[in-house]
Amino acid sequence: MTEMPSVRVEGASFSYPGGKAGVFDITIDIAPGELVVCIGPSGCGKTTLLKLITGLLPCSAGRVWLGGEDVTTASVRSRQCGIVFQSYALFPHMSVWENVAYPLRVRAVDRTERRRQAEAMLDTVGLRGYSERLPAALSGGQQQRVALARALVFKPRTLLLDEPLSALDAATRISMRDEIRRIQKQQNIASLLITHDRDEALSLADRVAVLRDGRLVQIAPPQELYDRPADAFVASFIGRTNLIDGRVVAPDAVDTAIGRIVTPAHAMPMGAAVRLLVRPERIEPSSTETGENVFAATVVHDRFFGASREIELSVGQGMLKIDTTVRGTIAHVHLPRQAVQFLPTH
Amino acid sequence: MLSLIWLLLALFVAFPLLMLGIRAATDNGTFDLMPAINALRQTNTLRAFLNSLLLATLVGVLGTALGFLFAFTVARARVGRLMAWLLDTATLLPLISPPFTTSIAFVFSFGPRGFITHGVLGWENAQVYGLRSTLVAEALTYFPLAYMALRPMLTAIGGNLEEMAFSLGSSRWRAFRTVTLKLTVPGLANAFLLLFAASLADFATPLILAGNDLPVLPTEAYLQITGMFDLKGGAVLSLLLLVPALLVFLLQRRLVARRSYVTLGGKGVRASAGDSVTPKLRWVLVIGCMLVVLFIFYLYGLLAYASAVRAFGANGTPTLANYRVVFTQGMPAIRDTLIIAAIAMPLGGLYGVLVGSLVGRVRGGQALELVSMINYALPGTVVGIGYLVAFNTPPFLMTGTAAIIIACYIFRYSPSGIRTTIALLAQIDRSIEEASTSLGAGTATTFRRVMLPLVLPAFFAGLSVVFIRSMTAISATIFLVSIHWTLITVRILENMTELSLGPAAAFSIFVIVVVLVVTKGLELLLRQLSGRSAQLMMVERE
Repeated sequence: MTEMPSVRVEGASFSYPGGKAGVFDITIDIAPGELVVCIGPSGCGKTTLLKLITGLLPCSAGRVWLGGEDVTTASVRSRQCGIVFQSYALFPHMSVWENVAYPLRVRAVDRTERRRQAEAMLDTVGLRGYSERLPAALSGGQQQRVALARALVFKPRTLLLDEPLSALDAATRISMRDEIRRIQKQQNIASLLITHDRDEALSLADRVAVLRDGRLVQIAPPQELYDRPADAFVASFIGRTNLIDGRVVAPDAVDTAIGRIVTPAHAMPMGAAVRLLVRPERIEPSSTETGENVFAATVVHDRFFGASREIELSVGQGMLKIDTTVRGTIAHVHLPRQAVQFLPTH
Repeated sequence: MLSLIWLLLALFVAFPLLMLGIRAATDNGTFDLMPAINALRQTNTLRAFLNSLLLATLVGVLGTALGFLFAFTVARARVGRLMAWLLDTATLLPLISPPFTTSIAFVFSFGPRGFITHGVLGWENAQVYGLRSTLVAEALTYFPLAYMALRPMLTAIGGNLEEMAFSLGSSRWRAFRTVTLKLTVPGLANAFLLLFAASLADFATPLILAGNDLPVLPTEAYLQITGMFDLKGGAVLSLLLLVPALLVFLLQRRLVARRSYVTLGGKGVRASAGDSVTPKLRWVLVIGCMLVVLFIFYLYGLLAYASAVRAFGANGTPTLANYRVVFTQGMPAIRDTLIIAAIAMPLGGLYGVLVGSLVGRVRGGQALELVSMINYALPGTVVGIGYLVAFNTPPFLMTGTAAIIIACYIFRYSPSGIRTTIALLAQIDRSIEEASTSLGAGTATTFRRVMLPLVLPAFFAGLSVVFIRSMTAISATIFLVSIHWTLITVRILENMTELSLGPAAAFSIFVIVVVLVVTKGLELLLRQLSGRSAQLMMVERE
């Protein structure tokens, strides 16, 4: 490796006193300019991980590097992390520009210079002309931009965002998502964003890290994560799923509750218990009544969303979920062989 | 820093109480409860105890009723600007006046040469002293506490709930009874306890108005010590006072901690005063309030008049003689009081903000808060005698110094600063501090640039309360003054006992004016300092 990653977390652990909660043995590298999104159910340790990087919590084991420097025992202020807090944590008694200039002020940058740099950064986040306002006079999205400008203005080694979009309404959230991505790429800074929203994770990230019970389950680019989830937890956390348990009956077939499913060739022993994953959007309504992986189905529940439908079907002895744009009645479904994949059983 | 504060609390809160207990339970250095028990056996002691409880209960009921009347009128009766101003002023005046003000005015109004009793009704030898006047004077002095506790509550309950009750088919009276009154019960209980404690601790009013037939604990303890030089007897009496006071304090804390049903001071649901009172009832409420307001103004007017005439009730010639007395003979007291206030004020303000910021952030914060409230919760008589006993001998010999009075003020009157700080900090997101640190600021910078400006209003609130009390307190400091350091309030008391009522009135007016000017000045200064954020806007999540 020629270049040290901007952020390197190696085997980091921390447990809260008295509980099982915490994070355990987490290793993540974030390259300059890369945006890693950390996702997981609440209480999985996402924010703890972020606090370990910032130094707001001490590692009980493992190390943290920022820009090639070991900062495991360094103080919060010397680590130079730009943080955007969930609540933004803007200083309510300072104007917008004073908020942004605060990190420069504590670094003894002189007034005209810090004003210039703050204004430039406000320009970058699209807040030209708001300098003199107080935070309370801004909308949620604007406060978010101020927080972002403040976190970036002092050229931090990394940008850390703790659920930055969760306090915004749906429309603002989507536009801010694009803004964060644009600014992060423009600043070319190694960034970690925490969220529990899978759309946010998939659409924003260069790579997504999935956490569960304080452990890193999988870290991969969004597409890979979606198409090749490490296990059933990742598969269902990151998207809608059909998880079908069955038993191997042939080198390319599995018997399940919905019937015999033909799969891509595999090397499982005969009789092995397996779990299959089929994404609902990969299953097609079928116009023919017979064929490979074509099953008779009865509609149990039909939700219409305009562009698409989410349908639950009773198939054989089991159930299937499908997402489709097809209108009309559905009596048969087709599972393309390539849409079927094996998940490890635990 | 934390250990320093605990040390101070140990010295100025726990130590005096401990010494008070020891003083009451020992005789010539040996443990002996007999003198204490003998003191308790005296019928006078029992009478004083029962009188104190009776008076406190009555004041609690009457004051809460007055407070509710005012609060309900403001919250529901759609009062105009002038009316609102009158109500605010009438409830502010008693809070900033020296403790004798109402009593002196009562004497001017209902005494043997009183304006009403003698001047209007022509009675000779009218009897002003006794339970009735003490009760009314105390209720008028302390009902603003009930008003301030109940008003935000009634506003928060709002007309919406009542309208809901109407829409469900309830009558006005029924809605009031089943919704508004029910929801206000914790607030009423709280107000009652506040007034009960205030009356229990009140020293000045009974001293002037109670007369011989109504001995109460604070005055008895004072007379025991200053009249009979019986420090032990005073200590025993003050401990007797301590019991109900602590009980009420703990009860009130539990009540407030339960947080009642309504969240106070939330998003001020603009009370759609709407239909909750009929026009007829509205008039009843407004007239009721106006009568009380006018009576209060009448008392203060009387006081001002008495301060500006040669001899109230006998010689109505306008004169400045009384004020001349204030600024000549009274000058040492004025100077001492102002010096002490000027020192106690910044120290008390700082102490309040410090303790307030520590409470939520350190282990044992709850205990810290509780202990820091004790001197405030206890009647001044108990604190004063405790200080007298504790700091009379080495190693902490402070009797006769200004320091003992200043310490008394700081630890007794900073709790408002502490509470305001806690309340302010509770609104500030915890991550604000983390944000400052992560942006590169050290602890000191974070405190100076971020936390201090945010708690500035609490600091100023602390300053003004300490100042007001430094100018007006007497119940504790009466035991701590000396020939070197005396106080305006003590001068007023001396004037009263010498029956020089004119100078006493002039002194009272002088104190009220100084307090008004200084608190207004502090308010302006705060606005100047915090500039745009005078009303401290918070960043809101959306």
